Amino acid sequence: MSLNRSFFVPTQSFFHSRNPLTKLTFVFTMIALAFFTLPWMAPALILPIFVMGFIGKVQKQYLNVIAKLILPTITFMFIMQSVFLPDGPTILFSIWRFDVSLETVRSAFLTVSRIFVMISSFTLLLLTTHPSELMSDLTRRGLPGQFAYVIISTLQILPQMQAKAQTIINAQRSRGLDTQSSFIRRAGSLIPLVGPLVFGSLVEVEERAIAIEARGFTSTHAKTSLHDVPDTSVDKAIRWLLVALVIFTLILKLWPS
Amino acid sequence: MEVITQNAVYFVVVLVIMVALFAWAYATKRVQKDFSTMTWVLIPVAIAINLTIGQIVLTLKLPVYLDSIGTVLVGVICGPWAGALTGALSNIIAGIILDPGWFPWFPVAAAIGATAGVMANIGFFKSWWKVAVTGFVIAVVATIVGTPISIAVFGGISASGSSIITAFLLETGKSLLAAVLTTNFIAEPTDKIATSLLAFAIIDGLSSRYLARFPRGENAAIEKGQQRIQLIIALVVVVLLVLFAIFILPRITGS
Repeated sequence: MSLNRSFFVPTQSFFHSRNPLTKLTFVFTMIALAFFTLPWMAPALILPIFVMGFIGKVQKQYLNVIAKLILPTITFMFIMQSVFLPDGPTILFSIWRFDVSLETVRSAFLTVSRIFVMISSFTLLLLTTHPSELMSDLTRRGLPGQFAYVIISTLQILPQMQAKAQTIINAQRSRGLDTQSSFIRRAGSLIPLVGPLVFGSLVEVEERAIAIEARGFTSTHAKTSLHDVPDTSVDKAIRWLLVALVIFTLILKLWPS
Repeated sequence: MEVITQNAVYFVVVLVIMVALFAWAYATKRVQKDFSTMTWVLIPVAIAINLTIGQIVLTLKLPVYLDSIGTVLVGVICGPWAGALTGALSNIIAGIILDPGWFPWFPVAAAIGATAGVMANIGFFKSWWKVAVTGFVIAVVATIVGTPISIAVFGGISASGSSIITAFLLETGKSLLAAVLTTNFIAEPTDKIATSLLAFAIIDGLSSRYLARFPRGENAAIEKGQQRIQLIIALVVVVLLVLFAIFILPRITGS
């Protein structure tokens, strides 16, 4: 699996041009609805996320991620949970000595659809928002700049480190290091792979600290941003609408009890 | 269903405690001291170490994860708060680039970093057996924080390999909570002790001039005497633990 893959798809669409915070609010609204306020609605919540995928013109990549990443996981989980969770009274059928009851299937389906909602709404956010755009918007709203630095610089370091790891693996293999055969040899090969990689990257830390310190990293003055993220009144309206929806469903849930 | 709601409550309680602790530490300026520029620069490198080593271990098909070496490293030499932040951001970044399924586990990673920092502060990161104890404590904390998440979010059985153990325990008639707790307790210590010992080996390889530039560099000062012997013992223990995971665990948990 390659680490330098980012989900972001650069296109123009209504969903792309929304403010990152609006999209983040959408994600958390979906999670709040699926997990806390309207759990029985979780399977139905997949629909608005799908619609958003189409509005954002990322349906192809979205379905691709679902098929490759999410579906195998949740199918496995669904089968395992239906078979192994403690059974309810209504037995549907039995395989060998395992009973599958209506109650477990129901609860497994609910769990799986909640996870589907959570993962697929995050996927949608990542498909339509570049991480640096999200970070610069959140920094403008008061998130300490250091957090943005950590996330953005990690995303830059990772591909470099991945390339370095590959170089080291190839170099050690050409010297006869065994990465394919028996288990003990593979465990033994961990040290010559990891050692150079880790020490090499830790040595760079000191230089980088001096470099960013020289650029006013810890300065407390307000910093201006080169990249401006638009925040329209439509965005604000959508955000308040989503928050209102969560509060409304919360009241609805707490009302009868 | 009942047990899931109950665990969602545990999860929220754990999260609230963590946030309250952080707010308290922030308000009393305990945090700022640990976050020097060196710490901020080390955190991205540590996250990259977490993910890259995690991937290498995955390609070598070893039965451990070893995806929190960087978190433990930061926890030890920069303090518990920095360790917690590294863990949390590490999971968030893994969620951004690998699989959004990583997001819900961020409290576990934060707890790992914080525990490593606290243990190092009380001097339990100075010789190989103390590091092994630290690893065990980290595993216990990770189990306590991770079990409610596992049940509330993933219904107890997720797609990881250790779920087979949970399924087996459920069939023997254990309750869901007991089954997940036992599974984590079987799977975690090996991984976390190996992680801590590897972090120890890394710190041992760094010069003391370099370590002194970090806020809690003195935590990592290895006790006087046979450094080389300690390093060898630490590595031998790692290998033994990995062997234990491979040969013994399937026998305990298998039929």
